[in-house]
Amino acid sequence: MGRVFLAPSLGFMALIALFPVFYAVGMSLYNIRGFQQEFIGGDNYVRALTDPNFWNAAKNTLVFTVASVSLEFVIGMAFALIMHQVFVGRGLTRAVILVPWVIPTAVAAQVWRYMFDHNPGFVNAVLGTEINWLRDPAWAMVGIISADVWKTAPFVALLLLAGLQTIPKDYYEAAKVDGANALQRFWLITLPLLRPAIVVALLFRTVDALRMFDFAYVFAGYSNSVATLSVYAQRFLVAEPQLGYANALSTVTFVIVMLVGLAFISRMGRHMVGDVARKEKR
Amino acid sequence: MTTRESRASVRRAYRPRPKTPPALVNLLKLLGLLLVLGWCLFPFLWMGMTSLRTGSVALTDPNIFQGPFSFGNYEEVVNQGFHFALRNSLIVASVTTLICIPVAALAGYALARLPLAGKFALLAATLVATLFPPVALVNPLYRMYLQLNELTGINLLNSYAGMIIPYVALTLPLSIFILATFFAGIPKEIEESAKVDGATPFQAFLKVVAPLAAPGVGAAAILTFVYATNEFLLAFSFAPRDLNVQTVPVFVGTFERVGYENPIGQIMAASVLVSVPLIVFALVLQRRIVAGLTSGAVKG
Repeated sequence: MGRVFLAPSLGFMALIALFPVFYAVGMSLYNIRGFQQEFIGGDNYVRALTDPNFWNAAKNTLVFTVASVSLEFVIGMAFALIMHQVFVGRGLTRAVILVPWVIPTAVAAQVWRYMFDHNPGFVNAVLGTEINWLRDPAWAMVGIISADVWKTAPFVALLLLAGLQTIPKDYYEAAKVDGANALQRFWLITLPLLRPAIVVALLFRTVDALRMFDFAYVFAGYSNSVATLSVYAQRFLVAEPQLGYANALSTVTFVIVMLVGLAFISRMGRHMVGDVARKEKR
Repeated sequence: MTTRESRASVRRAYRPRPKTPPALVNLLKLLGLLLVLGWCLFPFLWMGMTSLRTGSVALTDPNIFQGPFSFGNYEEVVNQGFHFALRNSLIVASVTTLICIPVAALAGYALARLPLAGKFALLAATLVATLFPPVALVNPLYRMYLQLNELTGINLLNSYAGMIIPYVALTLPLSIFILATFFAGIPKEIEESAKVDGATPFQAFLKVVAPLAAPGVGAAAILTFVYATNEFLLAFSFAPRDLNVQTVPVFVGTFERVGYENPIGQIMAASVLVSVPLIVFALVLQRRIVAGLTSGAVKG
């Protein structure tokens, strides 16, 4: 019975996700030109490791991931603490906080790209600067990080807020009686008890940042300035088709995302999955 | 229970008076609230104002309150077929949700309730599958579609099905996980009593468990719908130009400029047209979305 219920899901995922990955790994071992295929073993991977643009894409992905996830975490935590305090308008704030999350990333990316554009130069006017945000690679990176932080810090706040609400108020009162100040209460009660929510938020954000395509593509197309691994792989699929190499790049991206994801899940998986299993025993 | 209550009341009696005056605290809370609201909404103000501005001043002056204002940009994006992109997005996202949720509900129920070998490994694998990067699918699926076309004449490129099929595969894992969490939270006794009354396991699932899990089903459905309206990479790769299938993210994300004209006003008009329904969607379904996003995250 259980197998029958699972079969459609597993069959679908195996056919549309698992099989294509093996297909991609297989093709990454070939040099493909038009209709000609030539087996070249690991040469595409060697090429990636010696390609400065690949390392540039890897660096961009790393910078983007580390900067945006840490900013999102800090700002999201601040928002969650604010929303946890406020009792008036909590429902409204919770609803509004979903608005950036629900807007398609490609649409948000266009809006932010034009805010950073020097013509009409809205961001420059607000900051009183004269920066060419879209042409200079370093400032373009600042641009996509800002846009991503805007879009997803509220999402992080929401996950953390849900976690905050599960912490019993008694703990704080007891700590207050014992003379703990606000910072100590945050450090010794909130952070440790919030850990499951923190790990989940970081997992989803880190993995999403590592596989990000939309912001980088809309801001700079296939140019190297902010190209992430996904953008760089897509470039050899569409703009300059070299399918063997493209598949090697997408396989590398796949492996990186999965390894990072697995590292997170091995830390929390037993806890989360165990939760479902525990309830079932009841 | 009683001792805990009495202890709490003792604590309450000894609780020191707050040092900061309540008026100041309330003011700070209000400022915090305004900060959060402003953060989330200010780009929409810019977007809305920019979409209404026309003429050369609008393209060069960063002051968003500088006119002239008109609905000209809206007329132009509709003339370029933006309403088709909206329709395509709606169809693709709805059909994805309609296929994904029943299939995921069966799997989630099996994982939460039915006797299965290796259940733990299956749940863990489901969680890992949510991490799948779409870029790994682009070329293999493209080739599979081409081969399918050669063998059977069915063309999935530039079709709704070509997008819906990978979207279902990519949204299944998270939906299964959310639904398994919700199913596991329903007391087992309810279902057992249905079986005692002579229901088959399938009837028990359909008539008793599924309605009780409705909030979880709703939450998973909303997340699937949002994912499918959001997805850019696969839609851009499989249905890039054709207005009959092109979705909103592709329309807005790859907006072509014609000649030397800066299309900023038109892009913002298109962004407003897609944002308004999605914002209403988020405001109305807020509770369900929060439940879906946080299930699993905060329990236990």
